[in-house]
Amino acid sequence: MLAASPGRRAASYWFVDGLPDIVLGVTLLLFGGLGLWWRIYARSPAPQFDFFFLAAGLLLLFWKGREILDFLKSHLTYPRTGYVQPPEELPETLAGRPDTLITLSLRPAPPPDENVTHFNTRTVTVILWWCFLLSGLNPWRRWYMALAMPALAVTLYALNRKSERPFRWWSALILALTGLTPLWLDVPARLQSPLPLLLTGLWLLAQGAFTLVHYLRANPYPRVTAGVRA
Amino acid sequence: MQEISQLDRLIHEPARLAIMLILGGTGEADFLYLQREGGFTQGNLSGHLAKLEEAGYVAIEKTFKGKVPLTVCSLTGKGKAAFSEYSNRMLGVLRPGGSSGHRTR
Repeated sequence: MLAASPGRRAASYWFVDGLPDIVLGVTLLLFGGLGLWWRIYARSPAPQFDFFFLAAGLLLLFWKGREILDFLKSHLTYPRTGYVQPPEELPETLAGRPDTLITLSLRPAPPPDENVTHFNTRTVTVILWWCFLLSGLNPWRRWYMALAMPALAVTLYALNRKSERPFRWWSALILALTGLTPLWLDVPARLQSPLPLLLTGLWLLAQGAFTLVHYLRANPYPRVTAGVRA
Repeated sequence: MQEISQLDRLIHEPARLAIMLILGGTGEADFLYLQREGGFTQGNLSGHLAKLEEAGYVAIEKTFKGKVPLTVCSLTGKGKAAFSEYSNRMLGVLRPGGSSGHRTR
């Protein structure tokens, strides 16, 4: 098996501390939670607009996410294992196709440069579209989550299996099992639509936290900061 | 075999070649990342970076990420061109048949 190139290793390094998962998970929980609050207290037909909270959260993430991550990494990651240029996100469209088609094709697109990531197209966009589609479906009530969350888990696992940020199979299994939640809990129908978002956010946050703890334990803060001697 | 003798000796050294490979593939990296990725000691890496900087292949910038000081290294235009030429020469030498005309069976 060929060793990964320096560019691909640098792209994987961006996810080594779990911070991208934590930031995305917190965003989904925060703005999904606001959407849930809106659904609880807003009068009909206003509840359908709860997705505007999510849209606002994701816009904020796309706009300021790199800065937030850079700030967190400058305190946690760079002093421990060093700094490398963050990977560039794959362009929005490839040969004119919308990024959803790239996402659904399951074929890894050739990167223009090796220090690139597909996180936005293969994780963030997939979660967004999945939850958006699910929010409008209510035919099987409690059963649709039991089918939809495993489908989301399989999609995320399959799309990212050969990327710089693969999901572990047992982590995808945990996400799939969250679909059983409505079968155990009696969740009112009007509150079920934000559930996939909140469960996915919680899953990402837990996964990121697990990775971060493991990273911090494996890489203690160095006693002497390395530098170039003249 | 003449191509081998014409290889850039500054790059054609395992440690410096590793540094050029890492910086060429990543864009820029700090001292600690280079040290860990290349398996260098601090002094070893310092020495090799100094040689590459002296030749104009690598730019070294002392900067801050927030309040954290970083020594960030990157390839200069001259360094990219030199590495590209080195890579082409090595590929020419290693290609079956090569420039010497010898064929392996």
